[in-house]
Amino acid sequence: MIKIKHEQLPALIDFLSEKYQVYAPVQYGKETAFKKISSASEINKSKYNTSLNPKEIFFPQSEVMFTYDKEGIKTPLPKDKPIAVWGLKTCDTKSIRILDEVFSNAYQMPEKEMYKDPYWIARYKNCLLFSSACNEPLSTCFCNWFDSGPFDKTGSDVYVIDTGNEYIMEGISDSGKAFLENYKAVEQVTPEDQTKIDELKKKAKSYMQPPVELAGLKDKLQDIWDDPIWDEVSAKCINCGACAYICPTCHCFDVSDEGKEDKGKRVRLWDCCMFQLFTKEASGHNPRELSRNRVRQRVMHKYNYFVENYHEFLCTGCGRCVQVCPVNLDIRRVIQKILDYDKAK
Amino acid sequence: MCNTYIPISMKIERIINEDPDKTLRTYDLSFVNKEDEIKFKYMPGQFCEFSILGKGESPFGIASSPTEEGIIKFTISRTGSVTQEIHYLQEGDIVGIRGPLGNWYPDEKLRGNDTVIIGGGFAFTTLRSMIVYMLDHRDEYGKITVIYGARSPEFFIFKDELKEWEAREDITLHLTIDKPYPGWDKLIGFVPAVTKEVGLDPSAYVLVCGPPIMIKYTLPVLSEIGFEDSKIFTSLERRMKCGIGKCGRCGIGSKYICIDGPVFSLQELKKIPESF
Repeated sequence: MIKIKHEQLPALIDFLSEKYQVYAPVQYGKETAFKKISSASEINKSKYNTSLNPKEIFFPQSEVMFTYDKEGIKTPLPKDKPIAVWGLKTCDTKSIRILDEVFSNAYQMPEKEMYKDPYWIARYKNCLLFSSACNEPLSTCFCNWFDSGPFDKTGSDVYVIDTGNEYIMEGISDSGKAFLENYKAVEQVTPEDQTKIDELKKKAKSYMQPPVELAGLKDKLQDIWDDPIWDEVSAKCINCGACAYICPTCHCFDVSDEGKEDKGKRVRLWDCCMFQLFTKEASGHNPRELSRNRVRQRVMHKYNYFVENYHEFLCTGCGRCVQVCPVNLDIRRVIQKILDYDKAK
Repeated sequence: MCNTYIPISMKIERIINEDPDKTLRTYDLSFVNKEDEIKFKYMPGQFCEFSILGKGESPFGIASSPTEEGIIKFTISRTGSVTQEIHYLQEGDIVGIRGPLGNWYPDEKLRGNDTVIIGGGFAFTTLRSMIVYMLDHRDEYGKITVIYGARSPEFFIFKDELKEWEAREDITLHLTIDKPYPGWDKLIGFVPAVTKEVGLDPSAYVLVCGPPIMIKYTLPVLSEIGFEDSKIFTSLERRMKCGIGKCGRCGIGSKYICIDGPVFSLQELKKIPESF
């Protein structure tokens, strides 16, 4: 482990910028979001998670898949420098790693090239993720439900702890270690720093409610798929889709053409299973006509279907959906309700 | 790197109107580039995204057989906005396809065994692919029995081929229509009822493809006759976009129709919520 002073961050960002396009949290209108920066002065140093999720760095909300004209099809695959992201919280780092499983692989046929997503891979390849410990989790945070916590290093290339005036950094992956070895302007960590880390860790933990045991959740969901409980769970949902758009792991998208026969583009855009049109077929038939079935789909996908295929939850407990839901449909309460539910009664 | 989102250029060689309403048309496509043709290896039951630049794309089962070299065939019903645009196309026009996508009928299991093929309406496309493929390797399969139902005689697709098959000794064809029609001397009745009556041997494999309502009422009949769930296969459809298990649209339970299907055994389907 090494450390740099807060004042040395600009130098670190400049150094990073030589080899990478650097993304970091910035103020973005009323929101905070991960955007490309050219200097450290643009960084929003809030101790809380960004209001918008970081998936857009690698999977933009709208993306041109190809353009076409009389000459043929052109694919604008990004060919810039690799991406480095500063200021991710541990939950967001984990969400990027989960999405990489989806886009870089296919769960049953990882060897098959045709199932890989070249747009994601072009951005994700050789990326360097600086993952920050979370000193002050919010009341909406529940990362500790997912074998994780505010000081989880999993998925980091470089793990960062902000002690208030210094950034303590630890190389976790090979690329993270290599980066720190090349970066000379650092000091070594002292035993006092370790004490500070332990205190911060303890304090962060005190902000969080004790975790809920999710071991039985997947099977429980399987069990109640056809149960009337979904009417109750979904009753107040207005299918606005805010939860899915704000979610760092939701990755459904739509593909749509813009232009005419001789010139135009095919784009993909984030989409959402909360919308009625998502599954509506040309014939008029809609397998998920009812709101309850769409709410069930979202919950099942995150905590059952995805687990079946990828052996982890499609949720990192970042709590953004809890913050934005206009009818206060708290996913934590939904999970708790399902776990407590006794079908027989 | 391979980019499955980019359509392969195809030329429309021939358009065939399959029904008097002209809502069903078969498109024979040829490859514009030879190297695309060499790479395009498929099996009966697989599908493609049919793409018109500027208009969008929709998934369709491949109706041609891999043994019909140089031609990829789709039969397309005019239903939504993309199929409407496809119906405006002319012979000689260039379109795109993405694929082949998905899995296929269990050919390796069918070899050496008897097969019953049950189809309804214009969902006969991938079944036609399978039948042609089997007839082209006739010695490798056991008895082939086909039950095919349509609203009325004009609504069968591939009528010329049906005639040829009827004349052959090595395939049994049961054609049925919903209600009596002047001049029709073959079976009358819905597919489930006909399936019950024609005396099927439950040791065979069954491939069923048709409108959901037909599948729904045919499957119990098959079970009643004694076919095992593991030997009954059907092909499912859902709204689809990417075709490679990313966009999340065609999910049924933990499966995606585009990569885990479209072909599923009844044994698999019984474990998947939302499949019917």
